[in-house]
Amino acid sequence: MSKEHDKGMSLIVKVITRLTVGLILLYGIYIVLHGHVSPGGGFAGGVIIALSFVHLFLAYGKDVALKKLPKTAMSFFESMGAILFLSIALLGFTGGYFFLNFISKGEPFRLFSAGIIPLCNIAISLKVGAGLFAIFVVLVLLKFEWEKKE
Amino acid sequence: MIIYLLCLILFCCGLYCILRKRNIIKIILGIIIAEYAVNLFFILVAYRMEGRSPILSSEVEIVNMVDPLPQALVLTAIVIGLATTALLVALAMRIYEKYKTFDITKIKELRG
Repeated sequence: MSKEHDKGMSLIVKVITRLTVGLILLYGIYIVLHGHVSPGGGFAGGVIIALSFVHLFLAYGKDVALKKLPKTAMSFFESMGAILFLSIALLGFTGGYFFLNFISKGEPFRLFSAGIIPLCNIAISLKVGAGLFAIFVVLVLLKFEWEKKE
Repeated sequence: MIIYLLCLILFCCGLYCILRKRNIIKIILGIIIAEYAVNLFFILVAYRMEGRSPILSSEVEIVNMVDPLPQALVLTAIVIGLATTALLVALAMRIYEKYKTFDITKIKELRG
């Protein structure tokens, strides 16, 4: 086995993780994009996206997961989600008031409809996904640091 | 009526866990149980007999749907509960790092 397979869980868990982690990520993106026509939305989809990275972290150890999504990228995405949401809300001032739905609403029950709500969902999912994975990573790294000090 | 009382019993289980247990992790679990009992109570208050979920759909015309306002409230409460739980867990880990124990009766000295 190559060197990156030394850490983490057993080979069975790793193979199953490699097969399923992409599907979990895709399902999260699906939940986010269909947030305005079906149950789900930014928060639920963001949690599923974060869980796919947590899955990778648990199976392969911290090096592989942090190579896929480094800490700088995590903090970038988290800040980007907040700024995107705020700027979408502030853009409503071009037409009148805060949170004005300035894009055309389109036909109901279609994927491309509801104006700014899908964009807001995407911003929320960026924030929640990166933030939740950051919480997990910070809690785990705290434990590692403490064990190193012993 | 009985389901509201069962909700209260669940909340009391969480409260007992918070007040009586000595392990910090069990106290955190008690907080989570109490929180979810309140969430469940809100959802049950919003329920209407034979009501369907308050989501518009193109095929079915809605005649009788449950109240969507407490559901939105509970969604926000779940998000806030997640954040507070993460904070509590981080604090518990810090306490364990400093005092090498989760038992609250053994955490006595105030070390700088």
